[in-house]
Amino acid sequence: MTDRRRFEQQVLPHIDAAFNLARWLTRNDHDAEDVVQDAMLRAYRHFESLRGEARPWLLAIVRNACFSWIQRNRPAEVAAGLDGDAAEAATPPADGPEALLARELDRRMLNKAIAALPLQFREVLILRELEDLSYREIARIADVPIGTVMSRLARARRLLTESVRVITLASRLQTEK
Amino acid sequence: MKPEEAARLLHAYVDRELDAAKSLELEAQLAADPALRERFERLRELSAGIREKADYHAAPSSLVARLNAVLPGAGSDAAPRRASRWILPVAAAALVAALALGIALVRPGDEETLAREMVASHVRSTLGDRLIDVASSDQHTVKPWLSARLPFSPPVADFSPEGFELAGARLDYVGGRPVAVLVYKRRQHLIDVFIWPGSGPSDGAYSRDGFNVERSSAEGMRISLVSDLNRNELSDLARLLTARR
Repeated sequence: MTDRRRFEQQVLPHIDAAFNLARWLTRNDHDAEDVVQDAMLRAYRHFESLRGEARPWLLAIVRNACFSWIQRNRPAEVAAGLDGDAAEAATPPADGPEALLARELDRRMLNKAIAALPLQFREVLILRELEDLSYREIARIADVPIGTVMSRLARARRLLTESVRVITLASRLQTEK
Repeated sequence: MKPEEAARLLHAYVDRELDAAKSLELEAQLAADPALRERFERLRELSAGIREKADYHAAPSSLVARLNAVLPGAGSDAAPRRASRWILPVAAAALVAALALGIALVRPGDEETLAREMVASHVRSTLGDRLIDVASSDQHTVKPWLSARLPFSPPVADFSPEGFELAGARLDYVGGRPVAVLVYKRRQHLIDVFIWPGSGPSDGAYSRDGFNVERSSAEGMRISLVSDLNRNELSDLARLLTARR
């Protein structure tokens, strides 16, 4: 079987996962398409390095392509979330409510709130909740220790809850006006 | 289990990442602590809510079409086989020349052994303290030190501006010959760069025992990188090393 054939069978089926991650990280259809195309070509060139499961392997390549792209085009975003890690490590998780009731979650608001998360937190949340990857796989993809995955995920959920609450309140005020 | 620890482990429990012993411990705590139970329920609901309601962006068909056109080696006429047109004749010519000259071709088995030796060297050096014989980020210190001890003069450069800091070098013995090993740092990762004179047909990247190995050559030197650093960044360093001459 040719490399191309094997690539089509093993890697290309994960193009939706690749695009979903790139779309959530770049927050833009057009940019996500460009990044995924580059990442796929790169994946093809390094195809012989694939061991084990193709999806986490591909997502690691896509993730790095996204970060390079964001670093080039919106460098402030990459830097923005980083001090959050230190803060997370220093303060034990506050005893605040992690979530308002999820059945109240409005789909549009939820998507807006996830998109507004700092890059590092958005990344782990998408990999965990939408790609259902394990902490170990996420750690490999994001190139951080498992402990960092855990603290970022906790932080992502807390930030998400807070911003959903703010967005919900704001929209309620608006309709009452 | 202390309340703070229970709160910390709640996420891991929701994510089914807690081992059996800790899960049992936490479950006992959940049964005894209604407030903790409440947090757990909300956390689980949030997770379920995201999975159910967050957009999953499937790849547009235009992207799939574009990829089909640009990926090399397609069966269709749309993608020309750029590489294969000249690789075959060149490889055939090289084979004939090698046979004619009686040169032993490098067998895949030798490559495998080399990769294993280099990974072993990398692991040994990170376990013990013999990582670096000459510790310096100054190429003008490292290069003469290596040249004085080897029958060749390896290229040495610091790539701190690009994020690969030269930490020093050591000598090693790989594939039956003395070699130079440059040691670079990137974040918490160490990268060993094995250099010896020679050229080979065996450029490429692969993984061994959780380490990435990338092999290339430039200006008559074989350059092999070994690290637990991710493959993309390792390739970046490989490109820097082969371009700078």
